[in-house]
Amino acid sequence: MKKGIIVFIIFVGALIAFPLIYQDPFPRHMLIMIMLYAAMSIGWNIIGGYTGQVSFGNAAFFGVGAYTTAILLVNYGINPWLGMLAGCFFSVALAIIVGYPCFRLQGHYFAIATIAVGEIMLLVFTNWEFAGGAVGIYMPILPESFMNFEFHTSKLPYYYIIFVIFIATIGVCWFFERSRLGYYCRAIKEDSDGARSLGIDIQRYKMIAFSISAVITSICGTFYAQYVLYIHPTSTMDLMMSIQLCIICLIGGLGKLYGPVIGAFVFIPLTELTRVYLGSEGQGVDLMIYSLLIIILAILRPQGLWAIFNRGTAK
Amino acid sequence: MKKLLQGFCLFLLLFSFTSLAYAQNEIRIGVIFPLTGPAASTGQVLLEGVKLAADIVNNKYDLNMPLAKSIGLPNLKGAKIKIIAGDHQGKPEIGMAEAERLITQEKVVAIIGCYNSGITATASQAAERYGIPFVNETSTSPSLTERGFKWFFRTTPNDDLLSENFFHFLNDMKKKKKINANPIALFNENTLFGIDSRKYQEKYAAKYGYPISGVVLYPAKSTQLTSEIQKLKSYNPRIVMQTSYIADAILSMKTFKELNFAPDAILANDAGFIDPEFTKSLGKDANYILSREVWAKDLAKKKPMIKTIADMFQKRTGKSMDGSSSRAFTAMIVLADAINRAKSTEPAKIQKALLETNLKADQLIMPWDGVKFDAKTHQNMLGKGIIVQVQNGEYYTVWPFNMATKDVVWPFPKWNKR
Repeated sequence: MKKGIIVFIIFVGALIAFPLIYQDPFPRHMLIMIMLYAAMSIGWNIIGGYTGQVSFGNAAFFGVGAYTTAILLVNYGINPWLGMLAGCFFSVALAIIVGYPCFRLQGHYFAIATIAVGEIMLLVFTNWEFAGGAVGIYMPILPESFMNFEFHTSKLPYYYIIFVIFIATIGVCWFFERSRLGYYCRAIKEDSDGARSLGIDIQRYKMIAFSISAVITSICGTFYAQYVLYIHPTSTMDLMMSIQLCIICLIGGLGKLYGPVIGAFVFIPLTELTRVYLGSEGQGVDLMIYSLLIIILAILRPQGLWAIFNRGTAK
Repeated sequence: MKKLLQGFCLFLLLFSFTSLAYAQNEIRIGVIFPLTGPAASTGQVLLEGVKLAADIVNNKYDLNMPLAKSIGLPNLKGAKIKIIAGDHQGKPEIGMAEAERLITQEKVVAIIGCYNSGITATASQAAERYGIPFVNETSTSPSLTERGFKWFFRTTPNDDLLSENFFHFLNDMKKKKKINANPIALFNENTLFGIDSRKYQEKYAAKYGYPISGVVLYPAKSTQLTSEIQKLKSYNPRIVMQTSYIADAILSMKTFKELNFAPDAILANDAGFIDPEFTKSLGKDANYILSREVWAKDLAKKKPMIKTIADMFQKRTGKSMDGSSSRAFTAMIVLADAINRAKSTEPAKIQKALLETNLKADQLIMPWDGVKFDAKTHQNMLGKGIIVQVQNGEYYTVWPFNMATKDVVWPFPKWNKR
C-alpha cells in the first residue's frame, strides 16, 4: 500500500514538472490530451467498469458539456466556469432521462440503447440552428485570463487546469471505490439479481453511477470547448469517442482505479506519435502498428496493462 | 517486461521532443491534410497537388506561371521549397496540434490546409496565435473568412459564391435561351452539407427572385427514396436543386427514372454527382445532369497550360487531376509567389505580400478571373465556379459560356425519349 502512495506522488510530481521541462506546445498538447482522455475514461470506468453497464453514449455528455458552455457564452455572455456547472446539470438530467428507461434493460440492450441516444444527440445538434447546426460554434476570442478560461500565448494554464480536473477525477474514483456506493455497484456488476435479493436498489445505484460518469465527462467537454475554441457535432458527439473511452479502459484494466490512467498514457501517445512519425507518408502504417499493438496486448494481457504494472503488488 | 516497457516509453519520449537544425537555403512550408482516415484518398491527392506545384517552383519549366521559369525563388537566392506534411485524420484538435507542431518544432514559415472546414477552423486559429500565414486551398464554409483573422487567406471560392453561381447561370440561361425556371424545389440530404446548402439556396433564390415551391430534406444514406421523391414531384418544380453524396445521388437518379420524374433541369451541388462512381454505375441514365464544379479537364481547350499540368500530375501519380488537387496546386503557387515577392521568410512580410497578391487568369490553371485577396476578409475575390453537364457519360463545361466546350442541353429530356 505504501509503495502505491509513493508511486502516486512521483507520478503527480512528474506531471507538475513536465511542462516546465518541455516548453514546446506539442508535448504539452499531448499531455493535455492524455489527461483529458484519462479523466473521461475514469468517468466511463465508473459506469462501464465498476457497474458493468457498457455505455456507448458517453460522448453525448461530452457534447452537452461543450455545447452548454459554448451556447451560454456566445448567446448570453455567461462565464464558462458557470457554463461548466450548467453543463454538469444538463448532463445529469440527460443521464436520468436516458437511465430511467434504459436501466430496465438487461445486459447488451443497455449498450445498444446508449448507441441510439448518442446518435440521436448527434442528429439533434446537427440540425439545431440555434446551436450552430452542422457548422458548429466558434467561441469568441476573449482576453486571456483564468476567469475567461481562455489562454492564447501559452498552453501552461490549460495544462494545469486539466491536471487539476484529472487528479480530482482520480480522487472521486478513489472515494467511489471505497464507498458503500462502490461496493453496491460492483455487486450489481457481479450479480444483479443477487444484489437485488440483498436489498440493493439496483435502479437507483446504477443511476447514481451513471450521473457521476456524466458529470466527469461533461466537465471534460467544457474543457475541450475552451481549449480548442471551436466545436461542431462530429468533433464532440461522435460514437468513435465513446468507443475510444471503452478501448482505453479495456487496454488499461476494466474496473480498476488506475486502469484508465495507464490506458490513456499508452493509447494517446501511441496514436499521436505514430501519426507524427509515420503518418505524414500517409500510407496508414501508423494505424496498422497501432492495431497490431492492441491485438498483441489483447492476447498477452487480457486483464489490461494494469496487470503488468501491478504484477508485483497484486493482491 | 516492466523494464522493457519503461525503456520503450523513455525511447519514445526522447525520440519525440528532439528538434533538428535546418538548412538555410530551404523554405519550409507546412501542409496539413487528412492523410489517413475517411478522407485519406482526397488527402493524398491534395498533397500530390502541392508537391507538383513545389516541383514547378523549385525547378525550371517553360510555363506561363509564377516562378516556373526560374530555379527556386529568385528573390531569395534560389532557395527551394520544402514541404513538411502533417496528418489531421479528420479531427479538429489534431489539426490544431499539427499546426502548432509544424510551427514550433518544424519551424515552417507558412501553412497550407486543411480540406475539411472544421479542421481548417482550428488549425488556422493556431496559426493566428503564432502569427504564421495560413493559406486555405479547398475549405468552402463561408464562416472561415468572416472571423476577421489577420493571417488567414483563402484562395478557393466559398459555398456562398458557388451557390450564387447557380442563379447567375439561370439568369444567363433566361437571357440566352428564354427558359422558364419557375418554380424551384430543393432536394437535399439532412446532414451538414445539405442543411448548409439549403441556407444559401434559399438566400439567393429570394435575392434573384426565383420562387421555391417546396423543400424536401431526406435522410442521408437511405435505402429508399420513393416517398420523398413523390413528395418532391408533387411540388411540380421546373428545376430541382439537389445536394447528395454518392450513394444517395445514384439511388435518387434511379428513383427519378422509376417514377418518371423529369423536371426541366437538375442542378446538383457537386459531391455525389461528380464522383467517378456516378457515371460509372448509372451509365446513360447519368446524362444531362448539371452540376456545379470548381475545375474540369476540358477547361484545357481554352487554356492549354491546364493540359500540361494535368498530364504532369497524371504522370507523377497515376491519377487524374481534379478539383481538389488543382486547388491545392494553386494555393502553393500563390503562396510561393508571395514569399518570393516578400524577399524574406519573415511571417509579417509574407502576410503583407499575400495581401498584395495579384495573379492574372492566364497564370492559373483554374477557371477564375485571378487571385486577389479582399483586404478585410482575405477571401480571394476573383474565384469562380463552373457548371458542368454530363453528356454521353462525360463531364463538359457548359457555363460560364466563354469557357464552355459544349452547348447546354435544356430541358432535361423525358426518360422515355432518350
